[in-house]
Amino acid sequence: MTTLTATAALVRDTFREAFARKLFWGLFGLSTFLILFFLFIMKIDVVQGALATVSLFGQITGRSIDVKHLVRQVHAGISSFLYTWLMFLALFASAGLISSVFEPGRIELLLSKPVSRLHILLGRYAGNLLVVGLNACYLVLGVWLIFGWKTGVWNSAFLAVIGTTVFMFGVLLSAMVLVAVLSESGALALMVAFALMIMSVILAQRSIAERLLSSEWSRNVWRGLYWVFPKVFDVGRMNMDFVQGRAVGALDPIWSSAAFAAVMLAASIYSFSKRNF
Amino acid sequence: MPSDNAIETFGLTKVFRSLWRRSEVRALQDVTLQVARGTTFGLLGPNGAGKTTFVKLVLSCTHPTEGGARVFGRDVWETGARRPVGYLPENHRFPTYMTGAGMLDFYAALSGMEARARKKRIPELLELVDLAKWGGVRLGKYSKGMLQRIGLAQALMHRPKLMILDEPSDGVDPVGRRMIREILRALEEQGVTIFLNSHLLAEVELFCREVAILHRGKVALIGKVKELTAGKGYRLTATGVAEQLESELREKAMAAASKDGLLEFQFADRELLNQAIDALRAGAADIESIAPTTSTLEEVFFRTVQS
Repeated sequence: MTTLTATAALVRDTFREAFARKLFWGLFGLSTFLILFFLFIMKIDVVQGALATVSLFGQITGRSIDVKHLVRQVHAGISSFLYTWLMFLALFASAGLISSVFEPGRIELLLSKPVSRLHILLGRYAGNLLVVGLNACYLVLGVWLIFGWKTGVWNSAFLAVIGTTVFMFGVLLSAMVLVAVLSESGALALMVAFALMIMSVILAQRSIAERLLSSEWSRNVWRGLYWVFPKVFDVGRMNMDFVQGRAVGALDPIWSSAAFAAVMLAASIYSFSKRNF
Repeated sequence: MPSDNAIETFGLTKVFRSLWRRSEVRALQDVTLQVARGTTFGLLGPNGAGKTTFVKLVLSCTHPTEGGARVFGRDVWETGARRPVGYLPENHRFPTYMTGAGMLDFYAALSGMEARARKKRIPELLELVDLAKWGGVRLGKYSKGMLQRIGLAQALMHRPKLMILDEPSDGVDPVGRRMIREILRALEEQGVTIFLNSHLLAEVELFCREVAILHRGKVALIGKVKELTAGKGYRLTATGVAEQLESELREKAMAAASKDGLLEFQFADRELLNQAIDALRAGAADIESIAPTTSTLEEVFFRTVQS
């Protein structure tokens, strides 16, 4: 019970700080802006449930097309956009929330309480995930409702982007936590997270790299890096396939990213437990 | 294992090494001391003597290079060992986004207090530190003295058996100082052990029963204040002192405190004492006692540090 009380306090504190730093309202404000954006610019009219004239983003197509299929494709595109949008905002919002805990004068008081270092770190981590998770739910549900209402097509697969985003954010956050524990720098943690995101796009181009790289050694290094680093790009692509109703394929990018997060968190906990403040 | 000591350290050593291990600083060397339950203990030392490092080791903020520390008989690295400890850090940085009441609630929750108990205790403590009207105000708007007082309230929330205070009077005005001293005095009467880390020697002398002087990371001197203070000085106690006169005398005195309704002043020499007696008699105050003090802690401190 005591541990639960302390953990709840740590999670609540993360929310309180997110509110105070205007991060919470910033995230929700931008999400609201995006929801309104979709609400006003998207005009899809389905005539009697039949194939009809479809107007998407102002482009009028007179061709007869399968509205359900079209909506799924649009859903996939938008889910991909939301995934990227949410990831960027979440990383910016979280950079300061982790490192602020290690400020001199603040960390000593936290450590003097009967709470383990593991709890302090995981409490903050969980608080961050919850802040971002709530925002992801708000934005994705909002957009999904608008699409459902406008098109009459309720594609529940679209909601998967909530889980995908929170999962991948959790993976990148684990790396941010490690950098913050080691350096106490929110800016550096943010840089590393973005570097990992960009690296994942580059490393995912394995087929191109295999052709371009001259030696087997270089190709092995590429493959090794691909498997070690989190697969933000691949998981995003899997999400898109899922929303479109296509086969998702092997779940390796998810397992390997989860393994990366586990290693990062374990290293963070170890480093934090060994640090002097 | 239950212990008669609130704090005990054995061979406590801390060496800070640079990243590449080319240089090292021995912040503490083989410090072994005991702080008995229910006592008021002052840790003194010049800047860089290792006082704050000692406190951090006792609170498990820092890992010892050698030796160890126990709180009420339990290794400080056991999470539960810190439960009976209330701590007010030096140079604290309480989250400014919290209100006074919110901050008390947060740290008390971390100390394991249930929500109902916290809700009941917060107004009591805000009242105690004279911040009842400030409970709903963000800490960013507090003055340094107010932050110090709310910090003290934070340390008291879960009714600790051991209070570790790092420079508690720092930035606090004389009225606030007196309030803090009275709170600590009341805690002492309740049997709470108080460990004071302060550079205000007169304050430590007035408040603490035992002191240790750290110098260059080692315990240079340890003992009871009464036994250590053998030298010159005068202690005067009085009642019925008007507020303005009290302020004037506090300025002249090396130290001042109120205890059991008595005002106690310590003067460095006979001339100052006589001036005070004249002023008190002119102000129709009652002089209860005058006693020569054999030495001031300040003198003991300088003798120890310079020797």
